[in-house]
Amino acid sequence: MTMDRRSVLGLGGAAAAGVMLAPGLHLIAAPNKTEADGNKRWAMLIDVNKCASDCTACTSACRTENNVPMFGDPTRDIHWIRKVELKDKSGRRPSVSLPVLCNHCEEPPCVHVCPTEASFVRKDGIVLVDKHRCIGCRYCMIACPYKARSLVYHKTKLPEGGNPDVPIRGSGVVEKCTFCVHRVDDGKLPACVEACNREGHGAMLFGDLNDPESEIAKRIKSVPTTTVRKDLGLEPHVHYQGL
Amino acid sequence: MIDNYRAIEGNSSSYFSLLALFGTFVAIGAGAFFYIEHNGHGVTNMTNQVVWGLPHVFAISLLVMASGALNLASMATVFGAKHYKQFRRFSAFLAIALLAGGLAVLVLDLGRPDRMLLTMIHMNFKSMFTWNVFLYSGFIVMCFLYLWTMMQHERFVKLAGSAAFGFRLILTTGTGSIFGVIAARDMFHSAITAPTFIAVSLSAGTALSLILLVVTFRSTGREMDIKLVHGLRNMLVFFTLLVAYLIVVEKFTSLYAPNTDDVAHYVLGGAHKMLYWGGVVVIGVLLPLLVLFMPASGNSVGGIVFASICSIAGEMAFIAHVLFAGQAYPFDMFPGYEITSVFLDGSVGVYWPSLVELLLGLGGMAITGLIYILGIKFFRLLPKKAVAPEGWAPWSP
Repeated sequence: MTMDRRSVLGLGGAAAAGVMLAPGLHLIAAPNKTEADGNKRWAMLIDVNKCASDCTACTSACRTENNVPMFGDPTRDIHWIRKVELKDKSGRRPSVSLPVLCNHCEEPPCVHVCPTEASFVRKDGIVLVDKHRCIGCRYCMIACPYKARSLVYHKTKLPEGGNPDVPIRGSGVVEKCTFCVHRVDDGKLPACVEACNREGHGAMLFGDLNDPESEIAKRIKSVPTTTVRKDLGLEPHVHYQGL
Repeated sequence: MIDNYRAIEGNSSSYFSLLALFGTFVAIGAGAFFYIEHNGHGVTNMTNQVVWGLPHVFAISLLVMASGALNLASMATVFGAKHYKQFRRFSAFLAIALLAGGLAVLVLDLGRPDRMLLTMIHMNFKSMFTWNVFLYSGFIVMCFLYLWTMMQHERFVKLAGSAAFGFRLILTTGTGSIFGVIAARDMFHSAITAPTFIAVSLSAGTALSLILLVVTFRSTGREMDIKLVHGLRNMLVFFTLLVAYLIVVEKFTSLYAPNTDDVAHYVLGGAHKMLYWGGVVVIGVLLPLLVLFMPASGNSVGGIVFASICSIAGEMAFIAHVLFAGQAYPFDMFPGYEITSVFLDGSVGVYWPSLVELLLGLGGMAITGLIYILGIKFFRLLPKKAVAPEGWAPWSP
């Protein structure tokens, strides 16, 4: 069989049209991914006044709980939660130390930009990454104002003594804090909060904002708190007291 | 009409050498892709701060140029510049070739390129990336349709050409908006980002078309009226001035507002200042304008081709600056505070491309080159002789 050149061009156009139109066959909303309780709104409150600069209980607990890998390269090491030191440029305010993590925003820009819906918000407000759907485009890392996401640059394996409840993430995908969703679903606190209560100074509080009787809802109502980059309108669910 | 066009012979040793050269680079690019795919992105020099590296510069530059490459066809079909009608086929085909090269690099630089089909199964219409999947594939469809009407159904050319013209504006707006809509990044977030991308695409696309036409006609012994080159030169002057205007307006606005002047100062005097001043301003804008406005160089084919090369280099510098400076500039999460951490918060990101990234990017360029030289051999894309209308005298310096 022979084809003239116009047929080749026509076939090329048809193939491109197929690529363009094929997605239209799937314009059906993705099914709900979880059975999380939509009446809850998990949130965290961090009292900066209680957070000591030499304490890293939260970050260590997170790393152990979630098998977060370290590669020995600060530019690529993964941090689901990290301690940051703040020094007032004018020198009028005292220096402070506080943990920064994914803010599990109500309007998460990472979810908005994710082309495959790999980043999504559970009904209870926890922002997660489906590691099987992430294509590693890194657009979410560009969009997140909290630098809360990391690309897995190297192959990883479950460390000796690692937590078998949290599967490791393969290289080429993006990962971040999950609010220890596996623990929350079991009625436990996130590992960082538990470690802060146990080994730290009780600076972290976790709970359901929608429950008016919860400690976090009461505290946020009664003391002045703030969120990071409030100006962006993302409605973060990590609140800070004393900042 | 079809008799006016002729495919090149493509039997010379230099043609096959060029074919072998592009083929080699495509193979090397494929090797670079498999190396990254096998070992992970750890073999690149990207970091958790600069997550889009040199491959993205190549990919976006090619995609932006693709839109601009359709200029000649649009000038003829939409704006009635009949003397460019003879280049319509070349123009639309070049746009497809550029898009193919750019898309290849973009896809192959994904962390998980094997999951690319997921972008067509699970779609998020809030994502600019999702929209770009439609825009890129749609643009290729438009260009094929346009070519088809040019070759077989001339009466529909105006319709197809106008649709392709509109689509290319939307396409480049979409590419620019990948950055422009990101509120978290002060250096990206601007309504003028997308129009600047359009202006850059117009200048670089015209420059590439000009270079390829001059080189192809000369190397195949075809005649091209110098007035056509001068007409293209004038388009390049106009588009370069447009780029300069948009860049100046954007910087003026950033410097004027207290909440964005830190970013503007970083652009003008920070770690990436050489890329901005040297690459974008001097090589991309001032040098081409100087060459094109000087009578001796501005009227010579050599001078015009040199200015076109500068324009393309400037385009790549612009994309590289947007990407690298935009990502390296640290987030200001706590205004008024200096911030430090083990995650390098508050630090300017450092990034130098690795060889494997360069080879992947060059592989994408070679795909474009390969498609182009195969295209002009197997399809009647170029006129036997490019003539300018009698009495038409484009402005000259």
